[in-house]
Amino acid sequence: MATPARSRAISLEINGEQIEMEVPARRLLVHFIRDDLGLTGTHVGCDTGNCGACTVQLDGEPVKSCMMLAVQADGARIATVEGLAPDGDLTALQRAFNEHHALQCGYCTPGMLMSASALLARNPHPTEEEVRYALQGNICRCTGYVNIVEAVVAAGGGGA
Amino acid sequence: MTTSPSNSLLQSTGSTAVETEKPVVLEKGYVGQSIPRREDKRLVQGQGTFFDDVRRHGMGYVHFVRSPYAHARILSIDVSKALELEGVYGTITGDEVAIHTDPFFEMSVEPGGLIKDYALAVGKVRHMGEPVAAVCAATRELARDAAELIEVEYDPLPVLVDAEEALKDEVVLHDDAGSNVVWSGVFDWGDVDEALSEADHVVKIERLHFHRFSSTPLECAGALVEYDRGTGEWTLTCNHQMPGVGAIWMAPALRTGIDKLRFVTHDIGGGFGNKICLHPQYVVLCLMARKLGRPVQWTEWRTDQHTANAHGNERTFLDIEVGVRSDGTMTGFKVRAIDDCGAFPRYEPLGCIIWAQVTPGLYGWRNIRVDFTQVCTNKSPVSPNRGYSRMQHLWLTERIIDIVASQLGFDPVEIRKRNYVKAEQMPYETPNGCVYDSGDYAAALDIALDLIDHGSIEERREEAAARGKLLGFGIGSTLDSGTNNFGQSTLLNPDLQFSGNNEAAAVKLDIFGEVVVTLGTVPQGQGHETTAAQVVADILGCPPEQVNVRRGHDTWFNTHAGFSGTYASQFAFTGLGAVKGATELLRDEMVKLAAFVLQAPEEAIELADGMARIKDGPEEAALPFMALGAIVNANNAFLPPDFNPTLNHRYVCRPYFGMVDKEKKTGQLTLTYATQIHAAVVEIDPETGEVEIVDYAAVDDCGVRINPQIVEGQVHGATAHAIGAALSENFVYDEEGTLLTANFYDYHVPHAMDMPPLKTGAMESPSPVAPLGAKGMGEGGGGGIHCLCAAIQDALRAAGKAIVYDSCNPPHRVWSMLQDPEATRANVEVTSK
Amino acid sequence: MLLREVDYVRPSTVEEAVALLSGHEGARALAGGQTIVNVMKSRAAAPDVLVDLADLEELSTIGFSSDGLLEIGAMVTCAQLVNSSEVDVARPILAEVAATIADVQVRNRGTVGGNVCVNDPTNHLPPLLVALGATFTIRGQESERTVPADEFFLGVYLTAVGEGELLTKVSVPPSNDAGDGFAGVTIGKHGTYIVDAAATVSDDGVRIALGCVAAAPVRATGMEERLAGSDFSENSVKAAAEGLGATLDPPSDVHGSAHYRRHLAEVSAVRAVLQAAGRRKGA
Repeated sequence: MATPARSRAISLEINGEQIEMEVPARRLLVHFIRDDLGLTGTHVGCDTGNCGACTVQLDGEPVKSCMMLAVQADGARIATVEGLAPDGDLTALQRAFNEHHALQCGYCTPGMLMSASALLARNPHPTEEEVRYALQGNICRCTGYVNIVEAVVAAGGGGA
Repeated sequence: MTTSPSNSLLQSTGSTAVETEKPVVLEKGYVGQSIPRREDKRLVQGQGTFFDDVRRHGMGYVHFVRSPYAHARILSIDVSKALELEGVYGTITGDEVAIHTDPFFEMSVEPGGLIKDYALAVGKVRHMGEPVAAVCAATRELARDAAELIEVEYDPLPVLVDAEEALKDEVVLHDDAGSNVVWSGVFDWGDVDEALSEADHVVKIERLHFHRFSSTPLECAGALVEYDRGTGEWTLTCNHQMPGVGAIWMAPALRTGIDKLRFVTHDIGGGFGNKICLHPQYVVLCLMARKLGRPVQWTEWRTDQHTANAHGNERTFLDIEVGVRSDGTMTGFKVRAIDDCGAFPRYEPLGCIIWAQVTPGLYGWRNIRVDFTQVCTNKSPVSPNRGYSRMQHLWLTERIIDIVASQLGFDPVEIRKRNYVKAEQMPYETPNGCVYDSGDYAAALDIALDLIDHGSIEERREEAAARGKLLGFGIGSTLDSGTNNFGQSTLLNPDLQFSGNNEAAAVKLDIFGEVVVTLGTVPQGQGHETTAAQVVADILGCPPEQVNVRRGHDTWFNTHAGFSGTYASQFAFTGLGAVKGATELLRDEMVKLAAFVLQAPEEAIELADGMARIKDGPEEAALPFMALGAIVNANNAFLPPDFNPTLNHRYVCRPYFGMVDKEKKTGQLTLTYATQIHAAVVEIDPETGEVEIVDYAAVDDCGVRINPQIVEGQVHGATAHAIGAALSENFVYDEEGTLLTANFYDYHVPHAMDMPPLKTGAMESPSPVAPLGAKGMGEGGGGGIHCLCAAIQDALRAAGKAIVYDSCNPPHRVWSMLQDPEATRANVEVTSK
Repeated sequence: MLLREVDYVRPSTVEEAVALLSGHEGARALAGGQTIVNVMKSRAAAPDVLVDLADLEELSTIGFSSDGLLEIGAMVTCAQLVNSSEVDVARPILAEVAATIADVQVRNRGTVGGNVCVNDPTNHLPPLLVALGATFTIRGQESERTVPADEFFLGVYLTAVGEGELLTKVSVPPSNDAGDGFAGVTIGKHGTYIVDAAATVSDDGVRIALGCVAAAPVRATGMEERLAGSDFSENSVKAAAEGLGATLDPPSDVHGSAHYRRHLAEVSAVRAVLQAAGRRKGA
């Protein structure tokens, strides 16, 4: 029978790379990603799991990494914003964000991109309503969401 | 140089036409185009550098111990158990702060000027969440663990959470001041008593309240601080958005020189004014870095930002009286304003004056009296927040006109057009000597009305009623005053040595001809790198891609001036004005150098396509920028001794203001006035009080738009902030001084599904006083709050005619207004001749 | 934002999980973590041991019992509920309501078991499952028992699941001809409820459960009785709701007074019943 322990050796895939590390049980996944792995593109914006700045994809689905323990990700496949364009060759979604001025300070942007890219993966041509619904868990205080929604719709080939 | 001074401004003899130079509006090149931002490339890849991304070897993490009481004496602090925890590097308490630092400089005169404000609570805590001690440890988690082991004993005191109660001075927060009043003054222009007595109607409004909220930038505050023992210098890698002011507070407190504080910012996740008053926490970090001999880092938590960083102004307006003629012309108003600045005034005394930039709002009335008092309470300290102090006053003027309209039976559109300052009157000097530079409010209003199909409102109202909903339409007119004259601080405190404004920039041609720009500003998402490149590109005749604008701000390397920073809607004027000035100096020198090399007269030289060449000359008569850069840097022997080009120029944009008259409290307080007219259509569910925005338009006129897409983005963002504030965002306290809305569950901000369909329109009334004809515009003036209050009031006309009296109207308040409209109407009294 | 030290273990069978929960003082089940991790971040509570149920596949299924009950494993996520064809066929209101819980990220992790065992008064599923007459299967070290919804929710963060026990599944009767409704007022779209009501109208009568008005969902039995034989016209349902508010003692807070909540309870109950009646087959 398994025994409770203060830390755990975890093994996971992150942006296509295999990682093995011993982590304290209490470490949040977002701090593991930022502090232990040095992937600082994923951000912290609140302390109650509302803002979504910490959104990453776990086994292809968007989750808030501040509401998970790193140990819960043992055996999982994680994607962060750094993995979208590893060679600097921006995706259509990232280019759409730029063309449609969908970011100002850029702090919510990684989370937005992870939620939006997950949406486009299962629904390549979303309507505006579908985009808003998919981004409901990502707060932005700069843009009012107008251009963000426009960019995601455009990346899906819709819109004007 | 920006504008030539007008003699009439120097004398401020009353309203005369202001003489200024014609604005230099550049030929349409890159300026005016919606060029996609260069900042985006790093940000969409998660390669932005926000301060918490930065690491230093051996660094420690800091956690603050904060007061659980809103008002209490500190009896003892015991850090011994924390120090025993392995991995803890050290602690600091208020007693040490009181020994090693001096209290922060206070802006106000007495009694506020006597307040002693230290980096940590000394002897007493005055708001819940106030930092009392700090601990530093090897990891974030350990610092948090250690903080729990610090034992603080408190002796609770009575709590003040109401400004009017605080005025009684029965419970006093700051014994040194002896009163809760920070500042009070009466502003009196024209003859309001005469205006009221000669008016056909006097509308009295007993009380209006503008609530507390803030912009809650997504990135919280923080810093990574290093201390160099050898030089006594601190380096703060941080997100302070106005380092000049930060240093002015911190250096004397730390008993050091301004140059010993190096502020370094990279990318900042939103500021909106909420990252201006970070000096108390930063001083603690400086002390710890020095005490512990290692870099120390602190990241604010969301809960801490809500409880203990910065709230926007909370202002209660009492005993408002408005004179109105029978044709609807408003003749004047008087009001008693009580401003609740929370536990420590800090930047906030300026709020006592800053509203006067927009004294009459958009209206032509000439007789105004404002009796203003600022008072401390046991709530979070207030600091600038998007729209800072003007938004509150503009909300007042918009409430006034809507209440007057509803009481006297005027149409809200017609009464506004009747009272608006007219386009022909621009530039328009207000009763207190400010000059509205340009604008056509009526035309902007027409655009807004068109966008929401105003003509169909009554039809839509009927249709909504058939569905059981109350439909309402409202207008919110507002001004975004920008580029302010810090001399207005002398109206607050005649001994303050601040006046004017400035911003700096430097532009150079590097060794290989790269154009490099450093800004004095501290952008937090406004696209300064992109817009600066547009301006430079137009002047130097090169593509924007050839212009390298350094990211962020570094007080060691970036040229900057005393008022440097990004705040108060002035980048388009002062920031870009500095860039323009420096680039013109560079251009002139490049032309001179090219003329010498090509042996042609200077008039024959043009800069175009990245070259300096003879106009219509042969192809060979052209020098790429690289050649010019190389000559000056590496190949300069052939230049004559009296010609010493540097190709590196710094320029300080110093806007010119008329003098401020401290006695009459008049003067030119800001230079530019962008207009925003908002219009909204709402539907209210009378059973629940829920408000749904079904149509919304925002029209912006900020003069010349350097990058229209960026301007529009600011309008979107300001509108979202206003909608959130109007319908849900509210910092609410209970009687014990507990903040009930300390996280994003209870303090609900708009999410993607909360935003209505948003239509925007634009006009350009170039500013005659701004270097590029462009006005600052980022704040937005709270137009959304004004128009949603108006729309809600309009909707309620069919169900009791309640008067909207508070700037925040969540469902429970709207429902109360439906249940008991008489209570709100009792607030208003009309006396007619 | 930063948790206290905690011990973590990830069992591979339900028996192991129950043994761990029973065998360690201060042990708590970790499902999706969308509540417990937040609670631990604020240090409002700090379990000593977290027993992660992630590997317990038998708790993640949705299926039917032999007598046609829709059986939802405790570890089924809200996202799974939303996407489930079984739910869509048997009791679609579950998916409809789950689709409005917070946001995509929370739904991808948050579980049915977590939502009901936390029993925060503002949670969506407790009042809904009370109205639907769901039953809850609880596994202990020695035995397994099934508890009806009316006896499952005891108080804030308190359910019939005792120390050392584990909720394994929630069983919901299929709608057959019943119609279901859910209504309320939230803080922002898809935000936290201020007051909500769930209703089921069937041949067996009406069941109405209110959320946010007490420590556990409240059955509006008086209103249910007054609706006996009703034609479910708007006037008739409104008349039946009169007096409901007076029987409640809801909290006052920054989002609404007790008085406002009493009123909202009546409004929500009416709307939920009308919606349910309108969806009833043959209505």
